Amino acid sequence: MDDFAALVRRHQSHVCAILYRYERDHQKLEDLAQETFLKAWRSLESFDGRAPFQHWLSRIAVHVALDHLRRERRRRNDIGLPDLGEHALEWLRSEDERSELGAREAAELLAVAMRALSPAEQLVITLQELEGRSVKEICERTGSSSVAVRVRAVRARVKLRRALERLEKGEK
Amino acid sequence: MNEEKLQRLIGAARAEPAPEVSPGFEARLMHALRRDERSNPASLFDQLGELFPTVSLAAALVIGLCVAADLCLSTLGPMDLSEGVTQVSEQWLFAVK
Repeated sequence: MDDFAALVRRHQSHVCAILYRYERDHQKLEDLAQETFLKAWRSLESFDGRAPFQHWLSRIAVHVALDHLRRERRRRNDIGLPDLGEHALEWLRSEDERSELGAREAAELLAVAMRALSPAEQLVITLQELEGRSVKEICERTGSSSVAVRVRAVRARVKLRRALERLEKGEK
Repeated sequence: MNEEKLQRLIGAARAEPAPEVSPGFEARLMHALRRDERSNPASLFDQLGELFPTVSLAAALVIGLCVAADLCLSTLGPMDLSEGVTQVSEQWLFAVK
């Protein structure tokens, strides 16, 4: 167990960085990170060492994130969308190409728009656009075929753009 | 929302750093792991599997000791183990004849 504690110390930042793309609340984020390491601990025997441990752990984190998105989707149907900051909405409506948006506001804006997407679509667009993963890497992490990933990515981009346009018009 | 603006938004969001893990995270996790282990004790087969190397080594040692004892007795004494067994079987098992 001491060896596993060392692994936790080494990889906890990486796991949290992955999960933060899907959950912005700090307490929930740590719960998801804990769930990821618990699952890793329980299935440690299935790690064959062919790929680096971090890749194997990332795959578990992605599946934990997907389960979380599915749970949240059912829950959020009842509570509606949170309010966005004024600056984010101003940026969204602005025609000025030089206007800039902070990283935090941009991430919050994207997180709100992403709710229009299915959990699987959120996963693909996050891995592809925010983490810069290739289709092959997304297939490895999600277990989906390359055709499914490509189709989902195209569909997700269209939905994301439409969601942002609705926010721009103040429709939510 | 044009493509260029969407890319700017994604690029800005990508730059956001993840928050630091709180100091007590590792301790809480290890506590949860121990609790998880207690609530899911290892099965009999798992326990036997874990004990297998020790048990097999102990068995090999016992066999080795028995063979060594037999060899010592056969060189020191008048009778080795196999002769003793033969004698016992002749005296007791076939005594009726």
